[in-house]
Amino acid sequence: MTHLQFDHVTKSFGAVPVVETPFNLAIDRHEFVVFLGPSGCGKTTLMRMIGGLDQPTSGEIRLEGEPVGAPDRRRGMVFQSYSSFPWLTVTQNVAFGLKYRNDLSEDEKAVRAERYLDLVGLYEFSDHFPSQVSGGMRQRIAIARTLAAGADVLLMDEPFGALDALRREQLQTELRRIQRRDAKTIVFVTHDVEEALFLADRVVVFSKRPTRIVAEIDVRSRLGEERSLEIRDGEDFFALRRETIGMVRAAAGGEL
Amino acid sequence: MSAVAETISRPEAAASPAAVARPRKRASRGLLRLRTPLPRGWGPAIAVGASVAIVLVWEFVARLGLTTPLFFPSPTAILSAMGRMFSDQHLLWHAWVSTLRVWGAFLLAAMLAIPIGVAMSGYRVIGAALEPAIDFIRYLPVPALVPLAIIWFGVGEETKIFLLWLGTFFQLVLLVADDMRRVPQEYVEIAYTVGANQGQVLKDVAFRAMLPGLVDNLRITLGWCWTYLIIAEIVAADSGLGFVIWAARRYMKTPEVMAGVVLIGVIGLATDQLLRLIHRRAFRYL
Ligand SMILES: Nc1ncnc2c1ncn2[C@@H]1O[C@H](COP(=O)(O)OP(=O)(O)OP(=O)(O)O)[C@@H](O)[C@H]1O
Ligand SMILES: [Mg+2]
Repeated sequence: MTHLQFDHVTKSFGAVPVVETPFNLAIDRHEFVVFLGPSGCGKTTLMRMIGGLDQPTSGEIRLEGEPVGAPDRRRGMVFQSYSSFPWLTVTQNVAFGLKYRNDLSEDEKAVRAERYLDLVGLYEFSDHFPSQVSGGMRQRIAIARTLAAGADVLLMDEPFGALDALRREQLQTELRRIQRRDAKTIVFVTHDVEEALFLADRVVVFSKRPTRIVAEIDVRSRLGEERSLEIRDGEDFFALRRETIGMVRAAAGGEL
Repeated sequence: MSAVAETISRPEAAASPAAVARPRKRASRGLLRLRTPLPRGWGPAIAVGASVAIVLVWEFVARLGLTTPLFFPSPTAILSAMGRMFSDQHLLWHAWVSTLRVWGAFLLAAMLAIPIGVAMSGYRVIGAALEPAIDFIRYLPVPALVPLAIIWFGVGEETKIFLLWLGTFFQLVLLVADDMRRVPQEYVEIAYTVGANQGQVLKDVAFRAMLPGLVDNLRITLGWCWTYLIIAEIVAADSGLGFVIWAARRYMKTPEVMAGVVLIGVIGLATDQLLRLIHRRAFRYL
């Protein structure tokens, strides 16, 4: 069943077109879709429009059949620049994701915040301020805050960009697990082909501008639903990776 | 100082032959290198040392008779004048009256300027409507409005508060609006995507984000209040430090005039340092 739908969406900033070819894409409920495309092709712009932070110039984006309106709690977002609030401690930043939920008691909120703090490995830094932790840790604060908020739709813009390899693998595994368990719809942007294939049900490959979809890779049918780290060492994964890299190269128009 | 130079010398410096002379060169430039942090405790020591030196030179020049006491009395003369004024002329009371006026007008200006400034940059309509008027009034020199203030309010407390308020409110509104404008859009967006409404975004995010800048601007504006206070008290008052200074001038009592000026400086310095301390304490996260 379609959860999110782009229907002939275009976007320009003033006179500058960013998405000029009408953009169409349907994303199913509980689907993990990864956007893969050259820098500047409009991935962030598309995500922001889903979030309600930017409006399409023409066309429509629908969430559960309704045109998306102003931003709200149904669509959580991890921003590319992974901001956190400098005046809140690490814990308070994570708990900020829950601050405006009336359906949870203060105790439940605290427990939840702590759980996600632990998940991203920041427990021992709980009382630090963002200015006192590293860039990668700040990124993890943003991830934990968004996960803790518990939106049905997660929009994640290169969320693992600044992490070391081990932490990256751990969080990729967790994210996939959370997505299966809590049945979330996720739109995820990355430049890393392996990350894309490991996480996605479907990878959407974008061309450079004028932006259009050059390929959709049905990863689920190739690799199955369950993803463990071992899958990355399998023949299937290698073959798929080689294919995908080929497509990404072609999409970039020989600019890579 | 050498400790600072050591920690910044790179490890490969030891390996390269040209590096042998380098550390010494660094150390000699030491404190005058751009943005070099001062060793612990040096900042206050240098500040006090330099201030004392200035006063000593002043005293020395005055004692040598290079200046006429009538024009340029020595620090000790000023200090004894101040002592006399404390005991005979209720100097402390005058200082208190002035301080109350400054803070009264300042708080009034701040209480109005903060919400209006926030609204002006938060809502483009309000900004567009108010900015021309505020920018216009901001450039009017306060002394030029003294006659008008007297016509409107007579020579009571209202006139003084009004003149001080006039000198600060319009500047402060625009400073607050700027602070608000500088709140990163992303902070606001984060709050919206976790379900905050407009009021919550303003209160929990925008206001908190602008607070350090706001406190700094308030501190600077408070300083301006003292400038306008003297103008207000010279024109229309029978109390306050401005009145004391002006009264002393009439009899050419230069040490008394200087004593009043110095006292304003001391109050200003103390307030400023106190507010800076509060700033450092309250915004440890910066
Ligand atoms: N607010 C804006 N005003 C004007 N132009 C913008 C604005 N936001 C984005 N753009 C332009 O839109 C284009 C797409 O930007 P976008 O950030 O969506 O790219 P991206 O695919 O996310 O790139 P990256 O992979 O580098 O993050 C860029 O050329 C950018 O300059
Ligand atoms: Mg981007």
